[in-house]
Amino acid sequence: MFYSPVITNAAEAAKSDRLHLFKYVEDPDQDKLDTFVKHGGYAAWRKVLDGMKPDEVIAEVKTSGPRGRGGAGFPTGMKWGFIPKDSPKPRYLCCNADESEPGTCKDRVLMERDPHGVIEGMAIASYAIGCHLMFIYIRGEFFFCAQQIEAAMKEAYAKGYLGKNIFGSGYDLEMIVHTGGGAYICGEETALLNSIEGHRGMSRIRPPFPAIEGLYACPTIVNNVESLASVPHIINRGGEWYKTLGTEKSCGSKIFSLSGHVKRPGNYEVELGFSLKKLIYDEAYGGGILGDKKLKGVIPGGSSTPFLLPDMIDVNLDYESLVEKGSMLGSGAVIVFHEDTCIVWVIKKLIHFYRHESCGKCTPCREGTGWLEKIINRIEAGQGKPGDLEKIDDICNNIMGRTICPLGDAAVMPIQSSLKLFRDEWQYHIEHGKCMVKSDFSFG
Amino acid sequence: MTEDVKTKEQAKPEVPMVSFTIDGRQESVPKGTTVLEAAKELGIHIPTFCWHPKLKSVGSCRMCYVEIEKWPKLAVSCATEVMPDMVVFTNSEKVKQGRKAILEFILANHPLDCPTCDKGGECDLQNLTFAHGIDDNRFDFQKNRFTSSTEGTTFDDKRIGPEIILNRNRCILCYKCVRANKEAFGEYDLGVYERGNIAEINSAPGKQVTNPFSGNLVQICPVGALTGADWRYKIRVWLTKTSPSICNFSSSGANILFYKDENKNKIHRVTARRNDAIDDGWIPDITRYGYQIVGSDERLKTPLIKKEGKQVEATWDEALDLIAKKLNEINEKKGRVCIGGMAAPHIDNAGLYSFSKLFRTVFKNNNVDHRSNYRMLPKEAGSHYITLCNRKFRISDIDDSDVIVIFGSDLLKEHHNLYLRIRKAYNFNNSRIFSVNPYSMKSSDVSEAELVYNVGTDEVLVNAIGLAAIEMELVDNTIGQKFKEKIIHKTLSEASGVCGVDEDLIKLIARAIANSKKISFICGELFSRSLARDNISSAILNINKLFGIENKGQIIALARYANSCGANKMAILPNPSKAVVDKLTELWGEYPEAEPKNTDAMLALMRKEEINGALIMGMNPIMMYPDRQFVTEGLERLDFLIACDMFETETTEIADVVLPMSSWAEYPGSYVNQEGILQTVPAAVKKLHQSKSPFEIVKCIAEKLEAQLFESDEQLNNEIEQLLSINDSDILPDEFLKVKFNPEEIEDDYLIPLFIGDDPHHSGYLTQKSNSLNNFRSEAYLELSPELAQKLGIEGGESVRVESPVGKIIVPTIISDYLDNDVVFIPRNFSTTPVTSLLMRKHRIDRVKISRVDE
Repeated sequence: MFYSPVITNAAEAAKSDRLHLFKYVEDPDQDKLDTFVKHGGYAAWRKVLDGMKPDEVIAEVKTSGPRGRGGAGFPTGMKWGFIPKDSPKPRYLCCNADESEPGTCKDRVLMERDPHGVIEGMAIASYAIGCHLMFIYIRGEFFFCAQQIEAAMKEAYAKGYLGKNIFGSGYDLEMIVHTGGGAYICGEETALLNSIEGHRGMSRIRPPFPAIEGLYACPTIVNNVESLASVPHIINRGGEWYKTLGTEKSCGSKIFSLSGHVKRPGNYEVELGFSLKKLIYDEAYGGGILGDKKLKGVIPGGSSTPFLLPDMIDVNLDYESLVEKGSMLGSGAVIVFHEDTCIVWVIKKLIHFYRHESCGKCTPCREGTGWLEKIINRIEAGQGKPGDLEKIDDICNNIMGRTICPLGDAAVMPIQSSLKLFRDEWQYHIEHGKCMVKSDFSFG
Repeated sequence: MTEDVKTKEQAKPEVPMVSFTIDGRQESVPKGTTVLEAAKELGIHIPTFCWHPKLKSVGSCRMCYVEIEKWPKLAVSCATEVMPDMVVFTNSEKVKQGRKAILEFILANHPLDCPTCDKGGECDLQNLTFAHGIDDNRFDFQKNRFTSSTEGTTFDDKRIGPEIILNRNRCILCYKCVRANKEAFGEYDLGVYERGNIAEINSAPGKQVTNPFSGNLVQICPVGALTGADWRYKIRVWLTKTSPSICNFSSSGANILFYKDENKNKIHRVTARRNDAIDDGWIPDITRYGYQIVGSDERLKTPLIKKEGKQVEATWDEALDLIAKKLNEINEKKGRVCIGGMAAPHIDNAGLYSFSKLFRTVFKNNNVDHRSNYRMLPKEAGSHYITLCNRKFRISDIDDSDVIVIFGSDLLKEHHNLYLRIRKAYNFNNSRIFSVNPYSMKSSDVSEAELVYNVGTDEVLVNAIGLAAIEMELVDNTIGQKFKEKIIHKTLSEASGVCGVDEDLIKLIARAIANSKKISFICGELFSRSLARDNISSAILNINKLFGIENKGQIIALARYANSCGANKMAILPNPSKAVVDKLTELWGEYPEAEPKNTDAMLALMRKEEINGALIMGMNPIMMYPDRQFVTEGLERLDFLIACDMFETETTEIADVVLPMSSWAEYPGSYVNQEGILQTVPAAVKKLHQSKSPFEIVKCIAEKLEAQLFESDEQLNNEIEQLLSINDSDILPDEFLKVKFNPEEIEDDYLIPLFIGDDPHHSGYLTQKSNSLNNFRSEAYLELSPELAQKLGIEGGESVRVESPVGKIIVPTIISDYLDNDVVFIPRNFSTTPVTSLLMRKHRIDRVKISRVDE
């Protein structure tokens, strides 16, 4: 078994009537088609092909109102509705499995342990938008995920769940597994499409949006793995049921990838609106801060979202509540830092990542991230100059909202937030040439 | 004096207009216009780096920010469509701040090495930095540095192509070069490597940028990252003057700009001068570097006279006196009908017209022709070939044709600008392109289907397209039956068997032609050069009638040279159309009754010593006519040969008098391009050495013969104008035409079909004097497919012996990705390899045998 040894709350999900994504992820045979079917898998796929019209599928998903789990949180059903009805071109579905946001590792668990769940979700989405060829774009480093998905796909083909005339419905659906080369930018939907087409992974300018002109200039829907994986459950139990999960505006359940200085880092499926504090401190989840130290800050939605201070963590994990606190739900990667963390060091690591992953297409991101990295490295190394912070802030402003894709924004959001929330620490670094904290920590 | 052809881009009436506000002005533009285009149209300047009018917007440089009311972020105007009631500010404080920030980012890693940069004075980055008044540099780090392996230089100077030098440090990564290379030219020899802020533009590993449009990459570079080897460090741009002109090597008449040093009477560079109706702002390397022949050291400097078997320098007076004396002798002995004339179709209208007038009014004969590169041309005026060639068409109409058929035309070798049009139609209009040729070629990569037919079965294939349509009932059956009566193969399967193309492919193209809304049917050089051109023309005219091609599109029979169409209009034909003859009779009060003789007929009569004197102007038939032995024998038997040219050529070598002729850059002139557009250009430089323009040469000769062709320049211009205004449209035949077909007889020893044409970097025999073009290719080669090479046991680069029944040459080989069908290709542009010695004028297909040299 090559499963990544990540802690999940599968036991809780198994007992729950409401949690559904993680119900069987600890079952070692869940990746086999028979076991998957025994657990109720592909029932939704049959139901859909048995007599639901594509529009009914879209309506069901629209009713339930889940928002995209990839980070931007765009309503899934609404996205499907953007496919032009009268276009003579073929349509495509691309499952975005290029999960690369630092801190995020939820899709990986689903693909490794429940690959059929992902395929079923993709199939239903394909049917809904009238697509006959679907792609899954898997991050290059996720070698095992790709193996699992590919094996599951072969089994699904062999047993007639994919291919020509599925279940005698007359509906054909082909699937292609495409692995990336390990570029973060390819998780951005238009760069992903470029990559599938064989071009450099660089984002395209919008409009046209992929739903109008996407893969090979045809209408295309790009959905995140987790978004698609929840679709079968919506079909099985109805949009109305799904709507009862979570909060009114952020419905459904969501997997949070908890990492950093917590005792039990792992993936936890909870209903949206779950308390962040509980997620970090509850024994069933994070189990508290490593070494029982004091909390310093939390990034609640993946490395590209602003920090939350300890007094702000009494917040519900849903799209609206986090925005109220000045941050974002993002991809649901909760990164926890304890008191001995040097924030400048954290930002140095982050900006290194973003500089390295910037595709180089548009000027502000390409040049700005490089410049920021140089300044931040200098400060971290104790050679910061007066005025550096203002300069960083200014560069961030010149990147924010000025780039083609959100990578630029993602790079500067944690920096600007840290400058605001931890300014004294930055200042200390420049004035004293060293960390304010002990910084004898590591991320293991 | 100059008359630029203005772009014929009128707003199409069916496009709805959108009204919006820009900088407080209420304006309206056609729907779909971007804010940037709208601003340009309205005379509002928005700075750009990555935007190019002929490429898709990518919005990468972010310099073209504008502020739009109610939009939270700055918008990139190049990729933002004008929306109704949009309120745009192009110069607000927010916009200025945004642009300044972009410049700061760009300058962060830019070396600011302006003093040593050749782009200085015409650099977008320099100009925009200046315009934004940036005087501070907040980037206090070591800049990213690339170093090239070239020793002995302090900066990154990497030669990535024969004519391109790359400096990655100056590059601002606008990606315009890579995009143009890919999008506009379909070439992949330049690319982006690495990522993010260490991304670099470079040639493909181990490769050079040698594509035939490579010079454009230098021209569109907004900074000094790509500089041209032929221009840099020779002169500062502000010390040059520009002079508009057109290309003299292609029939498109691509618009160019000469950059010249007036003091030294020298041209330093050519750039494209965008004209959307003609060239879209892209020019092939031939056009860009061909200017070097003007200032070549090898130019003929004085007239030469043959004395005791040797050519010696002479004055114009001596030369002209001798000409007058000899021509008068021939006249007295045998009559002036024994003088032949050939004038090149790259000479201007005045030169050509006076040439025609000299022969017809002074020599009183019809021995004139401008087509020295084609074998066995039809003599009669109304031949089907001429009818086809006179079809009217518009190159810019290709852009929105939904179906394009390329028939018998290796566009990349002969018609570069047209080749780019096809790619444009493919990229921007999703046009369906069909490539129908006797061998596979580069345009196949944008073709929906490539039909490669058996060599020498052109007309059968064209017929087969008609038959397919009849069999699929795409055309009226009674008309179809009439069509069938005139052709030999009566069923699709029979015809498909003869031409060797799959029936399904023929059906595919037939269906495409029948269903198209706007079609462009292009016929090129492979068809014009064919001995069966008249027959093929009949077949094309038949399917034109069958499908109604011209009712919903155009047939484009391409002329090859810069003023081929002008030469036709100026009556440099033995037998011009009746309208032209009538007009000439009216102008001159006379028209010779002598029998018209074309190039072939003249050469045959020279061999029989019935033509004794000849005036050849700007032509080198020995090298270009497809039967070297025939033409050499003819010219050698002349009593008196006058050759005018820019250089010593195979033809001037055997001439009795050689006259130095000026290049097109040295005299003002007017030219008619392939689609009939008249362009008038000024002289860029003063005449070099003792050369004279073609018109002056003709005038001088006439004067020595005591004839006055024109009383004044006004008279000359007036007569030319009257000839140009003749609307020479042929009436298409009512009935279907008979299409004959004689299967080729193949000699057992000689099996491999040989095609002769131009190298993508050369045109005719003149460009071999351009150093830059020679840097791309300076010697002939035999191009063949990997399959044939394997069959013959030949490796790429190896020299082979090529033999035909009449000649033998040795050339190195090049293995090509194209050229299937077991054919071989040799360029005709190099004097060092007399490839026309392999050809016989009476053969439809020249076949050769190829063997390794060591055998």
